[in-house]
Amino acid sequence: MNGFRKEFSTLTLVLIPVAIAINVAIGQLAITLKLPLYLDSIGTILVGVLVGPWAGAITGFLANVVWTLSGLFPQAIAWAGVAAIIGALAGAFGRAGWVNSWSRAALAGIITGFVAAILSAPIAAYVFGGVTGTGTDAVVAMFRSAGLDALGANLGQGAVSEPLDKAISFVVVWAVMLALPLRFKNRFGNVEE
Amino acid sequence: MITLKHFGYRYPNTEAWALRKISLEIPDGQFVGVVGANGAGKSTLCYALSGFAPHFYRGKTEGRLHLNEVDVLESSLGDLAGEVGLVFQNPFNQISGARYSVREEIAFGLENLGLPPSEIETRVSQVLAQSDLSELAERSPFALSGGQQQRVAIAAIMAMQPSVLVLDEPTSQLDPHGTREVFANLDALTQERAATVVLASHKLEWLAAFCDRVLVLHQGRLVADGEPAQVLADEVLLDYGIGGTRYTLAARAAQQGGLVSAQRALPVTLDQAREFFR
Amino acid sequence: MQSSSLYIERNSGLHALHPLTKLALLGLCLVLAFALPDIRWLLAAFGLLLLPLAAWGRILAPFARSGFSIILPFVISLALIQGFFAGGDTALLTLGRFAFTWEGLLAGLTVSARLLVALGGTLLLMLSTRPDHLMLALTERGLPQALGYIVLTALQIFPRFQDRARVILEAQQARGLETQVNLLRRLRLLVPLIGPLILASIVDVEERAMALEARAFSRPGQKTSLISLHDSGFQVLLRTGLLLAALALIVWRLLPLVRA
Ligand SMILES: Nc1ncnc2c1ncn2[C@@H]1O[C@H](COP(=O)(O)OP(=O)(O)O)[C@@H](O)[C@H]1O
Ligand SMILES: [Mg+2]
Repeated sequence: MNGFRKEFSTLTLVLIPVAIAINVAIGQLAITLKLPLYLDSIGTILVGVLVGPWAGAITGFLANVVWTLSGLFPQAIAWAGVAAIIGALAGAFGRAGWVNSWSRAALAGIITGFVAAILSAPIAAYVFGGVTGTGTDAVVAMFRSAGLDALGANLGQGAVSEPLDKAISFVVVWAVMLALPLRFKNRFGNVEE
Repeated sequence: MITLKHFGYRYPNTEAWALRKISLEIPDGQFVGVVGANGAGKSTLCYALSGFAPHFYRGKTEGRLHLNEVDVLESSLGDLAGEVGLVFQNPFNQISGARYSVREEIAFGLENLGLPPSEIETRVSQVLAQSDLSELAERSPFALSGGQQQRVAIAAIMAMQPSVLVLDEPTSQLDPHGTREVFANLDALTQERAATVVLASHKLEWLAAFCDRVLVLHQGRLVADGEPAQVLADEVLLDYGIGGTRYTLAARAAQQGGLVSAQRALPVTLDQAREFFR
Repeated sequence: MQSSSLYIERNSGLHALHPLTKLALLGLCLVLAFALPDIRWLLAAFGLLLLPLAAWGRILAPFARSGFSIILPFVISLALIQGFFAGGDTALLTLGRFAFTWEGLLAGLTVSARLLVALGGTLLLMLSTRPDHLMLALTERGLPQALGYIVLTALQIFPRFQDRARVILEAQQARGLETQVNLLRRLRLLVPLIGPLILASIVDVEERAMALEARAFSRPGQKTSLISLHDSGFQVLLRTGLLLAALALIVWRLLPLVRA
């Protein structure tokens, strides 16, 4: 619990809602632009990398609470735990220095993406009957037609979209970290430069 | 009473002192203006008086800074919050975000102070009326204009009834009407509740009209301190990149052009200007 | 711009209920959604419990509208995917080697009905409860105040961020961001757009934190609240009843499994 307290200054507390707003704004932008990506966890990953695993986890979890409460994507709450783990992983990768180069950031994203796919699939399969109520259900249908069951098809769908999405998100965060003033990064201290 | 003795402050990871060797006493109930060019240290002085430098920014201090008996350098922000209020330039950043109406936004600080609800109710209504915000009380703070938001931000700090109110360019987003209202409210605060007000601003005409005293900062040093009529009429302000009030500048030009006797003291307010040019 | 939640202001009995009572009702709905055995029960729960409650809350129209628009994509996805792939003998339609079966369709519709009951409970809470009241109720029961702050602030500032994103987008659309077919190109155009958006908002964080501190946010000690939520002995009883009912349902469904 000590690490938990250390991460939670007022500055972190203020950063988290801003990060959630970034998730929503860019996630909606991706929809408007009809990108085949979610790009809805850039803020979460940023908090993880900048502040640490606990803060990343809280950001991910509460981001999904906010998606639900806002009415934009009510089913989001079901994946809040997965979002928390994405944030925690981002914190761990940040601490390990993986987000200091774009190629390792991309690799961190790919790994995070696979973890997210594995954790999300059972939720879609067992809570939502094998769908998510979004456009990616077409991909799920494709996998089902290839003979996979609900879990397998959702895993397949996740494995197709998550690693690319998270790799791009991590690279965006890498670029943002480069651009952030050192003075600002020093206030959090998950990353040693 | 605010006391600074050889006070200096340096931000972390910087070489230059943002404030150096400042010695100063401000008695209760004074309305003090702070002027200076960009980068002179106005904001930093505001942060120091309210404890944010060093308690938020960290960094190094030297000398002493006391608020009555309280050693500001040894206190925590939580303890100082009820004693010193700080208002910023950007209204959007000052709206807490956690409250859904102007009334509740103003109550937010009082809730954090742990005041009983009945007392909160009374203070909020008072401040709403004083700040001419009663009509906006039930609106969302996010549905207001920048100027209205700023008035809410100031009202929210006033409701906490700090003995010292520090404002960093609070009126740069306000029109003349809003600016007048803010200055008049602060003036009333110093008169009625003997609160001390320290206000950094570029609006010299307003400072001249309302302040008891003006401090001039230049490269982190306190280079002038006195009554507005003296300090703001001084030609040296030009060297500090501060300029002068429009009345002073016009009068000085008139003197230099030989239109008015060079003996006459330069005006800093409209009334003085009227007298000067009569 | 500032309406970032589903809440609709009405003068109704449902609105006047304590948020925790509505949360208990949501709990029961979630249990109902996954415990009721078949679609008739589920639709009955929706029609005989949730719809009347929405009518009592004077939010029937928005309840139906939101419910329909949210559940529709699920119904379509579930009906198609389960219809084709869940198996069954009664083929309604054959497409190549895939048969769309009655059993599959029914299974898909049943899951849809489960989601409908869960969604209905969620909507009842959200449409009739101010988010700040919900958070206050939870904070009073021990939820850390920081979490309430995060959720409420995020809800209120994200529309502002969306506006900023929209402005940037409109400025860039002339450059063919939307019409660009090549995904990589589109991405490469997007990153310089979102970078400044993120940076600008992150840099504001420092001042926002100071403004919060100036409002005694991290002062230790008891905090108070201007608004007080109305609660009553009857509602406490009601909440207990709702939770007991939910518990009973769970036991009733799990019992056969335990015995076997
Ligand atoms: N957070 C900070 N970290 C490091 N240096 C700072 C910081 N804020 C201000 N400074 C420096 O301190 C000096 C005084 O700045 P400031 O008080 O903001 O001046 P003013 O408000 O009069 O424009 C400037 O040289 C500025 O660059
Ligand atoms: Mg300044």
